[in-house]
Amino acid sequence: MNATHLLKRLLGTVPLLLGVSLLLFGVLHLAPGGPLDVYADNPSVSPEALAQMRTAFGLDQPLPVQYVSWVTAFFTGEWGYSIRTARPVTQEIAERIGPTLILGGTSFVLSLLIALPLGIVSAVRRYSGVDYLITFLSFLGVSMPVFWLALMLQLLFAVQWRLLPSAGIQTIGSDSVLDLIHHLILPACILAFASVAGWSRYMRSSMVEVLGQDYVRTARAKGLTAGRVVVHHALRNALIPIITVVALDFATILSGAVITETIFAWPGIGRLFIESMNGRDYPVLMALMMAGSFALILSNLLADLAYAAVDPRIRYE
Amino acid sequence: MSRNIRFTHSASRNALRTLTATAILLGGMAAAQQRGGTLTVGLGYDIDTLNVYSTGFLGDVQAAVVEGLVAPDAKANYVPVLATQVPTVRNGGIKIAPDGKSMTVTYRLRSGVKWSDGEPLTSADVKFTWEAVKNPKFIAESKDGTEDIASIDTPNATTVVVNYKRVAPDFMSTLFTFGILPKHTLDGKDLNTDTYNEKPLGTGPFKVKEFKRGQYVILERNPYYWRKDSKGVQLPYLDGMVFKIIPDSNTLVTQLRTGEVQLAYGIPYSQVTQLDNVPGLKVVKNSVLSWQHLDFNLKTIDAFKDPNVRKAFAYALNKSAVSKALGGYPTPINTVVVPVFSYTNPAVPKYDYNLARAQQLLDAAGWKVGSDGIRVKDGKRMSFKIMAQAGRSTDEDAEQVIIASLKQAGIELQPDNKSGVAFRDARYKGNYDLFYGGWITSADPTYSVFFGSKGVNNGQGYASAKIDAILARAESTLDPAQRTAALREFQTELMTDLPSIPVTSNPSMIAVTEKLGGFVPNPTNMTNFVNTSGWYLNK
Repeated sequence: MNATHLLKRLLGTVPLLLGVSLLLFGVLHLAPGGPLDVYADNPSVSPEALAQMRTAFGLDQPLPVQYVSWVTAFFTGEWGYSIRTARPVTQEIAERIGPTLILGGTSFVLSLLIALPLGIVSAVRRYSGVDYLITFLSFLGVSMPVFWLALMLQLLFAVQWRLLPSAGIQTIGSDSVLDLIHHLILPACILAFASVAGWSRYMRSSMVEVLGQDYVRTARAKGLTAGRVVVHHALRNALIPIITVVALDFATILSGAVITETIFAWPGIGRLFIESMNGRDYPVLMALMMAGSFALILSNLLADLAYAAVDPRIRYE
Repeated sequence: MSRNIRFTHSASRNALRTLTATAILLGGMAAAQQRGGTLTVGLGYDIDTLNVYSTGFLGDVQAAVVEGLVAPDAKANYVPVLATQVPTVRNGGIKIAPDGKSMTVTYRLRSGVKWSDGEPLTSADVKFTWEAVKNPKFIAESKDGTEDIASIDTPNATTVVVNYKRVAPDFMSTLFTFGILPKHTLDGKDLNTDTYNEKPLGTGPFKVKEFKRGQYVILERNPYYWRKDSKGVQLPYLDGMVFKIIPDSNTLVTQLRTGEVQLAYGIPYSQVTQLDNVPGLKVVKNSVLSWQHLDFNLKTIDAFKDPNVRKAFAYALNKSAVSKALGGYPTPINTVVVPVFSYTNPAVPKYDYNLARAQQLLDAAGWKVGSDGIRVKDGKRMSFKIMAQAGRSTDEDAEQVIIASLKQAGIELQPDNKSGVAFRDARYKGNYDLFYGGWITSADPTYSVFFGSKGVNNGQGYASAKIDAILARAESTLDPAQRTAALREFQTELMTDLPSIPVTSNPSMIAVTEKLGGFVPNPTNMTNFVNTSGWYLNK
């Protein structure tokens, strides 16, 4: 892929993002309620005060006007202020993105490191005891609710054995990396568990298919060792379909893991999203969803790039 | 978990009571208080801002940092904090104009009180608080009471004279009770974005050392705190407090079990037994000012316009079964005024569980049992939707018991639960047939907001000229005897008419380490952390 093509692809995301933003904006405002509803619980907020707030936030403007002013502001980097906390949206997100990237990134790498070998072993030793065990664990991983697994592991590691902290990103007052890793183990493993389960299944079936191909048989016939055949001949081709699956999951790193972050009191994007959702904090929600959409588009692009790198037959003109 | 209702208590508790309460507050602790230690508290919500006037939550952390002129105590009676006494008509703190249309409230401030930066607190700060909160540019969650004030005079540094436009018995519910803002650091600043929202400056026992959003708030001792204990020891006893933010209640319980958190409130009833067996931890029951109720939609459902139908529902509802389903912690109630209040009327018409009576009333009202066991009248089945807040397990459990209970009388109810904004929307607009939920009030509830024909929380469309008149009387007098009489009459009238069936009063369960001394739960919306200076940790 050359630079012109890349540029074209990137420019192409602009109308796409505009369309997405229009949809998101519409859906958000169609949902019942608004940001000022949090005050509805409070009889001491007078109708005058509400009207004042509505004007202050520009909520009294007609929707199209609100949308246009939002779009122009957004694309010029002015993401507005959170209605809930009155702080700049960029600041809110900047504070939460770090923890999310740490958790999501760790579990992503962890998942890859475990899922791919597992899938390969499963495929190579098809219908063996190892394969059945891996298959069983995968189904367990796919079907087990994250919150249940999290609670069970908290119970074991934090309450019974007192080996790991049950929640939080750090011991209060501590800035050490070791402490962070200590807090990271449980949530990262739980987050990885579900991905591993899914990805290893894809890897297995893709590998099984490739292993049945003629060229693999040829390679074997030439007298190459089983290991060489798998690693040098089969793996590269087997990886291509996996890239799509993994790339799409990659985008979710940025969006944060809502459930895991909530259970482990992890101060990331997922929790920010839930809080903003509950408070109908439009500016934060829009920014988060736009960032999520952008990440999705970007990871699609990355997937295409990776395709080309893995399979020389694929060329982008 | 939004801060619901923030009105407050009667201006006019008698002076003796106030004095006793103060004595308990300050000197009542045993001799064994130890100085030092840090208490770790678990909070089940993400703090939005530490500005007490703009937060959407109750303000637990703020209560340990920012003080008001007065505050409600464990019995929901007002006691003085930064003021030397609670103003009343009797002690001359409140003067009503000769025409009876306005009033003047005078506070005398404690002398020698300093902000945690060492600057003195003066009457100018009190006046500034009013001006700052009233400022239209300040987007506050609570501006209640600001409009009632015409002007504030500050004849000297320790005297504040507040001139009210009307006789406002609920004046203590607002402004100066929540907290005083420091003029010397906030004058001319934009309160919407000022750093005050991250690090509020107060006169309270603690000051904010660090606030990490989504994670924790660290509080440390305020070296200038004004309060001393009976032996002259400088308060607070604790070196500091840490508030950990843990949104998941299961995790909160886990943290209590591992000792990572030493105090947490709002423990789900289903998890209380788990915590009862944890060594070093005890679970305290706090009777909060809340009541659970089943409301009829009187706007659109014709069947409910018949009082006998409403009464039949009340007789068919087994309140003790509801309580039992929730671990036995809730107390069945007969009136909407919770028993903590002295003006609760024990002599209201009662509707004890009586299935036969319910059947009888429904038969007489023309609702005959149909072929499928559900009652029918004029071809319409007695089948309604009942709404509760989705995801609130206590309410959803209670709802199931209510459904089962009413089914026995031939009434079919189908759950139609909603969450978040959709729930609030339906509750305020009355988009439900029946609504099961709770209200929590502060120490001085204004019942007209719930049952007045123009009440903002009256989504059910209840309208009674008689109730309106009684409540208007109760809410415009500063005379405790008259107020009590009116509120008792209101309860009798409301329970006769029965637009809403009071079901139970649900306590808040607080898990707390046995090492913590001096801890007294607070039933009001001023939170349990309204008096932390006397708390201490045994080693």
